[in-house]
Amino acid sequence: MSRMGAEALTVPPAPSSPKAAPEGAAGAIDVSAKRIRREHLGQLLKSWSFRIGGAVLLFWIVCAIFGQAISPYGPLDQNLLLVNAGPSGAHWFGTDSLGRDVLSRVIVGSRDILVIAPIATLLGTALGAAVGLVQGYFGGVVDNLVGRVVEAVLALPVIIVAFLFVVAAGPSTSTLIIVIGVVFALLISRTVRTAVLQERELDYVAAARLRDESSVHIMFVEILPNVLGPIVVEFTVRLGYAIFTVATLSFLGFGVQPPTPDWGADIAANSGYLAAGYWWETLFPALAIASLVVAVNLVSDSIEAVVNQ
Amino acid sequence: MSSDNRGAQIDHARLDALRRGRGAVQEHVIDELVAGNLSRRDFIRRGTMMGLSIPVLGGILEAYSSPAAASTSRRVASSVLRASAPRQGGTITAGLLAPTGSINPLTINDEGGLELLGNVGEFLVFIDQQNRYHPWLATSWSANANATVWTFKIRQGVKFNNGAPMTVDDVVYSFKTQCNPKGVANALSVFGGTLLPEGVVKVDDTTVAFHLTQADGGFLDAVTEDNYNMIIVPNGYDYANYEKDFIGTGRFIVKSYTPGVGAVLARNPHYWGTKAVPAEVQLTFYAEESAMTSALEAGSIDCMDQFSVAVSPQLLTGGFNVISLKASTHRELSMRNDLHPFTSKYVRQAIAYTLDRPAIVHALFKGQAQVGNDSPFAPVFPQTVGPPAVPQRKKDLALAKKLLAKGGVPRGFKTPFVTEQVQEMPAFAQIVAQSAKAIGVDIALTVEAQNKYYGSAVFGKSDWLDGEMSLVDYGARSVPNVFLEAPLQSINAKTGQGSWNAARFNDPRYNTLSKQYIAAVDLSVQRRLAKQIELLLLDETPIIYAYFYNYLSATQKNVKGVYPTAQGQFFLWNASKS
Repeated sequence: MSRMGAEALTVPPAPSSPKAAPEGAAGAIDVSAKRIRREHLGQLLKSWSFRIGGAVLLFWIVCAIFGQAISPYGPLDQNLLLVNAGPSGAHWFGTDSLGRDVLSRVIVGSRDILVIAPIATLLGTALGAAVGLVQGYFGGVVDNLVGRVVEAVLALPVIIVAFLFVVAAGPSTSTLIIVIGVVFALLISRTVRTAVLQERELDYVAAARLRDESSVHIMFVEILPNVLGPIVVEFTVRLGYAIFTVATLSFLGFGVQPPTPDWGADIAANSGYLAAGYWWETLFPALAIASLVVAVNLVSDSIEAVVNQ
Repeated sequence: MSSDNRGAQIDHARLDALRRGRGAVQEHVIDELVAGNLSRRDFIRRGTMMGLSIPVLGGILEAYSSPAAASTSRRVASSVLRASAPRQGGTITAGLLAPTGSINPLTINDEGGLELLGNVGEFLVFIDQQNRYHPWLATSWSANANATVWTFKIRQGVKFNNGAPMTVDDVVYSFKTQCNPKGVANALSVFGGTLLPEGVVKVDDTTVAFHLTQADGGFLDAVTEDNYNMIIVPNGYDYANYEKDFIGTGRFIVKSYTPGVGAVLARNPHYWGTKAVPAEVQLTFYAEESAMTSALEAGSIDCMDQFSVAVSPQLLTGGFNVISLKASTHRELSMRNDLHPFTSKYVRQAIAYTLDRPAIVHALFKGQAQVGNDSPFAPVFPQTVGPPAVPQRKKDLALAKKLLAKGGVPRGFKTPFVTEQVQEMPAFAQIVAQSAKAIGVDIALTVEAQNKYYGSAVFGKSDWLDGEMSLVDYGARSVPNVFLEAPLQSINAKTGQGSWNAARFNDPRYNTLSKQYIAAVDLSVQRRLAKQIELLLLDETPIIYAYFYNYLSATQKNVKGVYPTAQGQFFLWNASKS
């Protein structure tokens, strides 16, 4: 950011971008950036969708952190004489086929998905940003080569690609994080590449080249801060998809292993009982996934709206 | 002594007349009845196994006891093999699990495939739901004194569904092909080590004899529908063509067959006996049980071959006819006897003592199962001794903790545990893990897809056979021989003995006892050996047998005559709708 002030003197103004600060003084730019961030935050906090989404997200984060302490029963505690019991005063969400309290499993089951999905998305965003920067900055052969590889992989549905990787590597938390991260990196790289393609033609990049800065410096110090907006939006959007992907892989049996409470795995284990009328064993974990995904999407839409203003 | 034999009135003169001319083995069965060592039910079962015909059995029971016993024998005589007279005609729609490969009697090994085969082809002997043997393509049979030679009289006048007559040569060819160790026959899992092609001998135009390589008191089971590959085909028949002509002697012919979709069966006009009740049977194949259950609930099919409590508990709620057959179907929880800490039998016992078996049967099977006692002797086997002579193992956490200490791991230990994604198995595995936690044993469970779990099904290349703790599924058998051999006898790579010994159990006492048991012909001898085996396995606990669950089939309320067997057959020739 330190060189941005000098470069900004020759950059056409763009009101919402840090590089478009009206004056050349570094201090003024810093103040402007802070002001913009404050404005963004203010706009977000005024947004009802952000508030609702954030509250739901916060609720699940609290459950993930303090799940064992706040759940009414141990999520693994079995009562083989009280299996498939419907919702009641003792068990608000009923019990499952092993007599475990469904509410407790839903509360504690938020942990894995809220660990795996954000870390995987973060990994994917970092990798995707790096690949997108390289593609967009260098262009030409590098862009073509990496682009074709990305397109080849993305020709298959994301879940199928992830599924194949997980089958090959064996299911584990780290495998899930790496697989989802890598697959999402390919998606995110395309967005970042597009943004970088626009940026690299701007004068501040040309100025950096004239100063004989290294390509790594130009990509990660000059360009990256100016494409952070789309990257942040990508992160929030992909987080919702990551939650779905984790839940889907768990549903297919490639997530965490039983008896660990997990929403996707619990839906898979209990879905067979739907026809028998034991709806609560499937419905509540499904609602939990839906509420988390909707919450993340509400937050992501709000951020995107603010960033794109 | 069985209680129902007390006070029996014996007509010795008639009994002696009926004994005359019987072989030593058959005479021994009669002696066992008279001595009170066999109940009437077991006498019928053992008697049919050893070749006593139903009329002779009925006569013996009449000479031996009350009219009630004689009526039992008459009920046996009116077996399922005789199609019931009323309501001939109509169409039955049935759901089967989709055959996983081509329909070939030589290689077929899945439930849907064998069920189709069992309605088109026939076997030498029929074993019913109560494990009683009845003549089918063989009219009678007998074994020599040490059960190394079994001789069968073959029914005359039988025709294949193409109109050609069935002969002894066809029987000999079918068996020689199915027991050829150089071939690819799935039936080798039954015949291996017992019957070789040169042992299948045509005695005359109506008789075939099987000369076994070792004594086998339970060989008769190998010629029944339990050995589902063993239908009789014409001499020289190319099994690879089976899907083109579906040759067989059974009550149905195949009008059409679409792999993965279904088949239409029609009544066989050439059938040698009473013809099938339904004029047509429409079979629909389903990839999974839940879809088939939905079809039954929707009224799209009249009956379905099998369901599990784990997947289709709603079928037990009263809206359907449920056929529940007690069976020897079970799961085996192996612990590696060669790896610490399972090298100690006390540690293995400790794990077994953590399980609340009646509660497991309640939770997983809604009562459609019987508790196990850590041996493969299921309650359904007549040879099983069980409680009180062999004490039933019950949950006892205090004892389990003491045993753990005695085994050298008083504070518990960590161990991996692998199983397969099949029916209730993941749920049972979780119960085991949670139960063991109560004594400080930390079990890390992995549930795998079935093909990954089995791997190559050989030591070193199979999670099933190599895991420290491993839970695997075993289908029902009419005799416990397979359960006693492959998973429990010491491993011998040269002979193939102990090829499924995931526990690496290696006990010379057990090897001797199990081999003696398999060779035994006499039920009282089998029971004596069974008791010793049960006690030995209860003490050593190489494998936990927590339950034996029932075989369940379902039909619509207006459907009658559907006849499944616990070994996976689904006979539809008597099926009718009201």
